[in-house]
Amino acid sequence: MEEVKSNSVNNLGIAALITGIITFVLAVIPCVGVIAVIPGIITIVLASVGMSQASRSDSPRGVLIASLIIGVIAVMISFSQIFIFARLAGRHDKWPVDIQSIVDDAKKGVLKDMEDNNVSIKIESNGQKVEINTNAGKEDKVKQLEDLESGKKAQNDTLKKEIKPVKK
Amino acid sequence: MTRLKKRLSLLRSDLGALLRTDSYLKINIILAGVVVIVMAYSGIFSPDTNNYPVVCMHEKILGIKCFSCGLSHSFSLIVRGRIAEAYTWNVYGMQVFLFFLLQLIMRVVFSLIYLTRTENRKQLVIYDAAGSIVIFLIAFYPFFRQIFLEFLYSLK
Repeated sequence: MEEVKSNSVNNLGIAALITGIITFVLAVIPCVGVIAVIPGIITIVLASVGMSQASRSDSPRGVLIASLIIGVIAVMISFSQIFIFARLAGRHDKWPVDIQSIVDDAKKGVLKDMEDNNVSIKIESNGQKVEINTNAGKEDKVKQLEDLESGKKAQNDTLKKEIKPVKK
Repeated sequence: MTRLKKRLSLLRSDLGALLRTDSYLKINIILAGVVVIVMAYSGIFSPDTNNYPVVCMHEKILGIKCFSCGLSHSFSLIVRGRIAEAYTWNVYGMQVFLFFLLQLIMRVVFSLIYLTRTENRKQLVIYDAAGSIVIFLIAFYPFFRQIFLEFLYSLK
């Protein structure tokens, strides 16, 4: 009976140690570190049950103590990962705003650059070539505005056409 | 011939009994099995088809890649001999893979030494444990450092 108890303590120790080692390796890897808390708790439970059985049957407890220490450290590392994860998730709502502002700035910059640029589109199909050259017309608009400010007549300006009074 | 057969059967029965009773050998066999599973995982799942069942929690929830992202890809590429590509997926993939490979070799070698020796077995186990801890710390040092730095950053 005593031998059976000692054997079960031994098996519990082996199970706890292996689970603890696997948990430790998982806890250190950030991708899966968050879920390592589950096997970590299993390790602590196995080691604790083994310790209580070992104290009753006076079995050696070296493996159980080692697995308990490994399990506790692994769970601590895993909890630190959860803490980091939670803090990052808490800050996560601020990031899209920052990203949106960066995108908006970039968009404005691109549009500003594009205003002065000429756009050339070339289409080639069945030996026929079509080329369209255009620009955003910023220079033209500036010139038009300057003309208006200086009082010059703008071309195609129908509103400022002089209307001659009709003599009766 | 019959004497050799008898010796072999005796060795088998001894080995079987030893495996059933000895904790160190049991632990070594199981850990070697775990490493073999890791290697098989890297071999079965292909980096070209990207059919890995384990996904990064960080990337899935936060949409940000974490420090260990690309380890599975890196392992698979190392198993396939595409070392240069493996470095592009994760810089530390090679050293972690070498840790697992070294552990597999250590499990086999230490088990054989343990079986052939009858004296100083406890000393051998202590050497094995100490060596494994040192190798683990060296292989995973960048991960420990990163976790520590991230922890400090998250406290701010």
